[in-house]
Amino acid sequence: MVADGHIPEGELCRSRTDADIGETLAGVLDRELTGYVVFEPQGSILFGNDERAVLTFEAGVPVLAYHSASDAGGHDALDALTGDLFHAEVYELAADALTAAHQVEELRVSPTAPADVLADDGALVDRTRDVAPEDRLADAAGTSAVEAFLADADRIDAIRDEARAEAQARAAEWGLADQLDDEEQSDTLG
Amino acid sequence: MVEAFAVASGKGGTGKTTSTLALGMALAERYDVTVIDADTGMANLLFHAGLDDADVTLHDLLVSDRDVAVEDAVYDRFGMSVVPCGTSLTAFEAADPSRLRDVVAELAADTDVLLLDSPAALGSKSAVLPVVLADRVVVVLQPTVPSLSDGLKVQEYARSYGTETAGVLFNRVRPDEDVETIADQAARYFGGTALASVPESDAVRAARRAGEPLLAHAPSDPAADAFHEAAGNLDVRAGDAAGVADRFRSAVVPDRP
Repeated sequence: MVADGHIPEGELCRSRTDADIGETLAGVLDRELTGYVVFEPQGSILFGNDERAVLTFEAGVPVLAYHSASDAGGHDALDALTGDLFHAEVYELAADALTAAHQVEELRVSPTAPADVLADDGALVDRTRDVAPEDRLADAAGTSAVEAFLADADRIDAIRDEARAEAQARAAEWGLADQLDDEEQSDTLG
Repeated sequence: MVEAFAVASGKGGTGKTTSTLALGMALAERYDVTVIDADTGMANLLFHAGLDDADVTLHDLLVSDRDVAVEDAVYDRFGMSVVPCGTSLTAFEAADPSRLRDVVAELAADTDVLLLDSPAALGSKSAVLPVVLADRVVVVLQPTVPSLSDGLKVQEYARSYGTETAGVLFNRVRPDEDVETIADQAARYFGGTALASVPESDAVRAARRAGEPLLAHAPSDPAADAFHEAAGNLDVRAGDAAGVADRFRSAVVPDRP
């Protein structure tokens, strides 16, 4: 699968056991990090719970959020992360290492949501908005997010290619391979 | 003369069952219509059609050792023939999805338009079967990124099985959503006709509570008007009923010994 939300292991460039989320997000924004941060509430470490949340970034701007214990993605993941102080590990990655994961719609957050929801920091929200790419901001603004999505032919092609590959693979699994249309005909229907 | 449509969305909450029954009722003004709740994992249609006390359901037809005639699960409601699905998990587990093709084949022989209310998922054989069996698919969308994304996936699955898109219906459209622009953009990726844009309506919930299809409960609601428009924009193709039935019968290789 192309877009399975898998994030490869990055290079650890910073680790703090008493991190404030707002400060961490501000630091990531300043250094224009492409990579991810793993946040773990301090209580979680103490009691051995796996309450970690992962946020990914492109040039310092948040893209994805995932909360492992609740299997929540996107804004739900932000809501699921609780606590005041965190163990935060900051990892750097090459931008293309995140391309596949960043296509998983369910995990995406608007650029300013972490600063807003997790840090409740208006100044950080503004700073993040200032550097976020135009199309990402459109993402956050209701209907125009849909327009931006539909304008991105590459992203749509990726969704279709993946669905096509998945349909073919599963057809074999379900004994429906004989029912598959031949490639030539399917293409003309596009 | 028959054409079978799978009404599909890929994502839950788009109002697929409401749409299926509304399209069915609107089409029933011109055609003989049969609606089948092919969402065998999550029966829904019976609540919308006042059939929650139905004795015999599609589940009974899908269990191999049950001696039930197909017609026993067909109910005349609101000018349509309605085949509800049962709500029992046990019955669902005992049901053989492959038998759906026989049921559909038998029903196809005796109707103009078959509507298959399809599961809002693509993760199992029974979920995919309706789009495999149907002639064409009607994709129900909301003007949101997740819904469009899932709609594209359903369309791609359907196309993989040679089932093209008859049309796209935008449903539950809020007043602040500029669906015209979105529909124009979406037309580049979705096949078929832009059927209609159905406004979000309180009447839909009220109809569901009353156990009636929207078009019976609130026939003059703007949402009902939009479903009429959608049915008018759907070009139903004449097929040969016997040929269709044969195709269904041979469509799917049973996956159980």
